[in-house]
Amino acid sequence: MKRRKLLLILFGIACLLPGGAPLAELVVVVNVRSGVSAMTRGEVVNLFFGRSRQLFNGIEAQVADLQDTHPDREHFYRALVGKELADINAYWARQLFSGHLRPPPQLKTSEEMLRWVAERPGGVGYVDLRQADARVRVVYELKP
Amino acid sequence: MPVAHFLSRCLSRLLAGGLLAVLAGPLVAEDPAFSIQGFATLGATRSDSRELEFVRDLSQPRGARLEWTPSVDSVAGVQADWRLTPALTATVQAVSRYRHDRSYAPELAWAFLRYEATPELSWRAGRLGTDFFMLADSRLIGYSYLTVRPVGDFFWHLPFSSIDGVDLLASRVFGDGVLRGKLFYGAPSAHLPLAQEQWKIDDSPMAGGYLDWQQGSWQWRAGYAALRFNHDLPLAGTLARLLPEPWLAESLAHLKTAGRRSDYYSLGAVYDDGPWQVQLMVNRIEQQSAAFESSHAASLLLGRRFGGVTPYLGYSLARSSPKRERLNPVVDRVMADSHVQQSTSTAGVRWDVARHTALKFQWDGIRAASTSLFPFRDDPAGGRWSGRMNVYSLTLDYVFR
Repeated sequence: MKRRKLLLILFGIACLLPGGAPLAELVVVVNVRSGVSAMTRGEVVNLFFGRSRQLFNGIEAQVADLQDTHPDREHFYRALVGKELADINAYWARQLFSGHLRPPPQLKTSEEMLRWVAERPGGVGYVDLRQADARVRVVYELKP
Repeated sequence: MPVAHFLSRCLSRLLAGGLLAVLAGPLVAEDPAFSIQGFATLGATRSDSRELEFVRDLSQPRGARLEWTPSVDSVAGVQADWRLTPALTATVQAVSRYRHDRSYAPELAWAFLRYEATPELSWRAGRLGTDFFMLADSRLIGYSYLTVRPVGDFFWHLPFSSIDGVDLLASRVFGDGVLRGKLFYGAPSAHLPLAQEQWKIDDSPMAGGYLDWQQGSWQWRAGYAALRFNHDLPLAGTLARLLPEPWLAESLAHLKTAGRRSDYYSLGAVYDDGPWQVQLMVNRIEQQSAAFESSHAASLLLGRRFGGVTPYLGYSLARSSPKRERLNPVVDRVMADSHVQQSTSTAGVRWDVARHTALKFQWDGIRAASTSLFPFRDDPAGGRWSGRMNVYSLTLDYVFR
């Protein structure tokens, strides 16, 4: 009897785990007035890793990232470069403490990300496709 | 360089002002004008050698023997960045670690102003990291790399990681790739321990640069630098006790370093794709002075991540070529100290235990010629050793932002 109860509880916990939830389909978004309509994966990687600091038309890119606690951040880097957050954080630790680059600002929510992009001509960010509204333009879709 | 000293003093004052501003009122959370962040490594290192002491780099006067010691790998650093205008930023980093004078006195690792003229062109002035050897300026940031410490065999001959001077960095995108070039001029900011003395090289002019190509998972870099020493090795006292005139004067002239050049050449390639990391680096150093042997070194590192755990394997070697001309046994003994002929096999594992925290365990098996003394401390009286040393290291790396 006790055993069955335990199994039921475990099953209940398993159902609550996020594993079953569908992964967000993430997209890279830019400001609608940026003049950019599409990006290659290479361009997205160059921007989000600080290798390139401007959009193809010369506008200075202003990239924003999410905080580690936001699940989209982990999904984004897994889908983009197949890396875990620890790798990404190690990369930025190297850039920051060797005096090369400052990491992009890390925002709390996707709404903040949308506002960041909408308010800056060179704004670049990533959100769930369902959240990408008229304020931003989708330029790259990540396969989950 | 007094200019750099003046700059760093100004910078620390400016930063103190920035700190007050932070304490006084909230800043915009999104893109802070002022930020403080830090890194630390707590390390325990031991070797199985009764003969020699293992050091991380040549700035350390004592190293690890049979007992576990924290001095080899432990380090703590704190860095402040202040955005003065959209194009101008100030950065200051202080680091505390076991250093040339056997203390943990904090040192100014970086203190510079960066001016971004365009997104593709930036200037820096002050105390700067040098990276004509790939990854040379992140050698103390354990969290940023796979291994416990940077590969010794590759870096033995580069005992400093910063210069007081200026540099210019240009970058340009070609298709999916990025081409970068850097030029620098300055003087190394370092003191090197030499027996009981210290060798001053912090006013010796140095210039160099690199070209770097990064595309997809690949990064390639070719670097060059030249350093002209301004001072002789602090040997006069020691030699005077051992040699009468005229051999003394003749020997000191032979071991002259002032006015002599060192040329540093290096090539590096990094392959970084998903869970895989591969690094290959080679270097060649030409020494004009008879006191040092020219050398070359190579290092290969391979790692693969499995979830939070990344095992890695490495192999490196360093060789130096003895000078042909010989003067007398005392001079031979001095020159023997710069000889290196060894290889190191490395196996280890990095475990990312929590956010911004990594635990590492590493074994290094050093196999050397009995005359390979350069990278070690407390040389044996006979100038020879068994040539076998195993080094075990455990570190906890942390960064806070």
